[in-house]
Amino acid sequence: MAGMWIFLVTEIMMFGALFMAYAVYRLGHPLAFAAASRDMNIVLGSINTAILITSSLTMALAAAAAQEGGLRPAKWLLAATILIGAVFLAIKFVEYYLHYRDHQVPGFWFETNLPDPGGVQMFYVFYFIMTGLHAIHMIVGIGLLAALLIMTECGRFSRVYHSPVVVTGLYWGFVDIVWIFLFAIFYLPGLHLHG
Amino acid sequence: MIAAPEIATERNYLNEKEGVLSWLLTTDHKRIGLLYVASITAFFFIGGFFALLMRLELLTPPSDLVSPETYNKLFTMHGIIMVWFFLIPSIPATLGNFVVPMMIGAKDLAFPKLNLASWYIFNLGGIVTLYAILRGGVDTGWTFYTPLSTTYSTTYVIGAAIGIFIAGFSSILTGLNFIATIHRMRCPGLTWFRLPLFLWGMYATSLILVIATPVLAVTLLVVGVERIFQVGIFDPSLGGDPLLFQHMFWFYSHPAVYIMVLPAMAVVSELVSTFSRKPVFGYKAVAFSSLGIAIVGFLVWGHHMFVAGQSIYSALVFSILSYIVAVPSAIKVFNWTATFYKGSVSWDTPMLYAIGFIGLFTIGGITGLFLAALGLDVHVTDTYFVVAHFHYIMVGGAVMAYLGGIHYWWPKISGRMYPEGLAKLAALTVFLGFNLTFFPQFVLGYLGMPRRYAAYPPEFQVLHVLSTAGASILGVGYVLPLIYLTWAWRYAPKAPPNPWRATGLEWKTPSPPPVHNFEQTPVVNYDAYDYEALKGELGLG
Amino acid sequence: MAEPVVARKIYLRAYAALLGLTLATTLLAFLDMGRFNTIVALVIAVIQASLIAGVFMQALYESALVRVILGGGVLWFLILITLTMTDYLTRSR
Repeated sequence: MAGMWIFLVTEIMMFGALFMAYAVYRLGHPLAFAAASRDMNIVLGSINTAILITSSLTMALAAAAAQEGGLRPAKWLLAATILIGAVFLAIKFVEYYLHYRDHQVPGFWFETNLPDPGGVQMFYVFYFIMTGLHAIHMIVGIGLLAALLIMTECGRFSRVYHSPVVVTGLYWGFVDIVWIFLFAIFYLPGLHLHG
Repeated sequence: MIAAPEIATERNYLNEKEGVLSWLLTTDHKRIGLLYVASITAFFFIGGFFALLMRLELLTPPSDLVSPETYNKLFTMHGIIMVWFFLIPSIPATLGNFVVPMMIGAKDLAFPKLNLASWYIFNLGGIVTLYAILRGGVDTGWTFYTPLSTTYSTTYVIGAAIGIFIAGFSSILTGLNFIATIHRMRCPGLTWFRLPLFLWGMYATSLILVIATPVLAVTLLVVGVERIFQVGIFDPSLGGDPLLFQHMFWFYSHPAVYIMVLPAMAVVSELVSTFSRKPVFGYKAVAFSSLGIAIVGFLVWGHHMFVAGQSIYSALVFSILSYIVAVPSAIKVFNWTATFYKGSVSWDTPMLYAIGFIGLFTIGGITGLFLAALGLDVHVTDTYFVVAHFHYIMVGGAVMAYLGGIHYWWPKISGRMYPEGLAKLAALTVFLGFNLTFFPQFVLGYLGMPRRYAAYPPEFQVLHVLSTAGASILGVGYVLPLIYLTWAWRYAPKAPPNPWRATGLEWKTPSPPPVHNFEQTPVVNYDAYDYEALKGELGLG
Repeated sequence: MAEPVVARKIYLRAYAALLGLTLATTLLAFLDMGRFNTIVALVIAVIQASLIAGVFMQALYESALVRVILGGGVLWFLILITLTMTDYLTRSR
């Protein structure tokens, strides 16, 4: 248990450095960041946030079921978590596609009419790096969950031995926490701007 | 040559299972420690080879042995290999892996399989980096400053960055393993304040490994993204700030130097006590100083950027904090010295290295304070003064402590002694060679010789020649242990369980130890370095 | 290893709170509060993170060591961001 929490500290520092860099550039380009943020799809973003929170619930319940030795509910809850996580990723990739369609992908196809195009591009650079890294973590998480699902099906867990489920739950919860902050810094900033 | 007499060999971790696979698939922390010894020794000599080429070039003022472009690659590869593939893993992954479980009375680390994975990951990172070297190398300096690394360099930056990125995971896993082990696996009676100071040092080091390394990982990732996509993350013309790279890089790399030095200090604490036959003076102060160094070490990184363009107020803050971080280090030096006082001092090789460490680390540390002073730093930054400063700490300090530790625990690791006379000669050679190499560099730097330059004005030649002469002597000093320890592994006299009559649980096992370390889990009811309480056992009068 | 069991009720209440906070932060983002927009969004995010960590990840029910580890991680992130900002916030334009 402590081992996984220590690992999560490494993740806090890894994402944390990116949040720090984002903060530095937002300080330098406040208007460009807000303007760029307005073009984010708040509907998809907030739905995704709710979806991921739901998957955290199913994950937490799966871990709790495993702790009590309830392998059948654990199995279904793990499957649900995987499914919901996959939906999150699907929506994310739809968003990525929309950004590509709208020429908002730095390094591939980026055009903007907004003032301070460098700042606007910087917003998107961080958006893609951070949500991309997050998505990679989600994919790894789904892989881990799939492995857990198989192990549960094979009866590997019990009231006595269930730590892999709990530990993976910690990882999944952390990935959700990162998203909550990503949502706050990428989707919300420009909404109060009008016109 | 008469081989050492064959005594009926007991089963120990070396002969328990034989064959290459039993080593490559081992989860025994002791074997993994030795696997790491092999890896880092190879990298040490590779990194040393680059240094040799540099020092040969610097014998003459013009850039005649190698072109400036090649010289850039030499100092870069020397730095990358020495920092990430020798110094960072050195004491933790070799001596730490071997000794930590034994010192706490455990059978192994908390996560033995992760430990093995860590070694493989380390080697993978090393291979990728070596590949980048063979493909032509990197020329950005081990510091990868932007925009050279992201935009203008035409060398294998990404290859090297990937190699270092991979090796970083090895660091993180080792640190994670040690933290969990020291928290959860101490034997009965072994409270925190009864732990040998080596463990406090390893614990503090592990905190840094776990917290700092991820920031390096993400920094290298961002450099890679920028290099490939040129999207302006550190490019001012596109709204970026090159200094942001330096903030991110040094946030890791300054604590990284404490990753390199804290384990060395941890070893020295053990050596100083054993070879004075006295408890370390001010145990709690030394223990807390380890934590203090680890914590405050995270607050000083801006001192690498005094002239880079950060705000003067920020520089002031970092300067003050850099003075503060010297305090716990000084406490340790004073306490080690006080340990000698009225101790029963013996001059075995490990002690020679420990004393060498204390003196040379003090010089290195004090010159660090010179550099922390803003005004002085403007004069000597990016000169050989800085080069001399960090080599006094890393080579005069960390490498000597590593050698001291290797000799100290050698009987436990190999089951044999080593040739004391030859070892003392090697230690002396290292000490003399080291000072001849690096002291002239303080003078060079103060007189204005910039670092990372292949060509220089003729008035600096004498000092450079002295330095190169020293380097060749130093090289001999390093090759000697390689030779005699290899010889000793097979042919030296067998070692008793506790040849130094040291306290510490690792000395209560046979030399070499059995696979599971202890027949029965030890119970501890005495303080660390309690020579009085253990008088009978240690055979002391 | 003591494995505390958290009541189902508590999970569901935390879930409801999390969804409510998501709605709240989204709606509040449309109001022009000047500088406070960022602060409000971050505060709500921190509350949500605490709920996930504390309830879903059982940090509230774990040993003190776990909370120290978590707190340490957060503290170091704050150190990273704060000390770096001493540079950026004090640069003369």
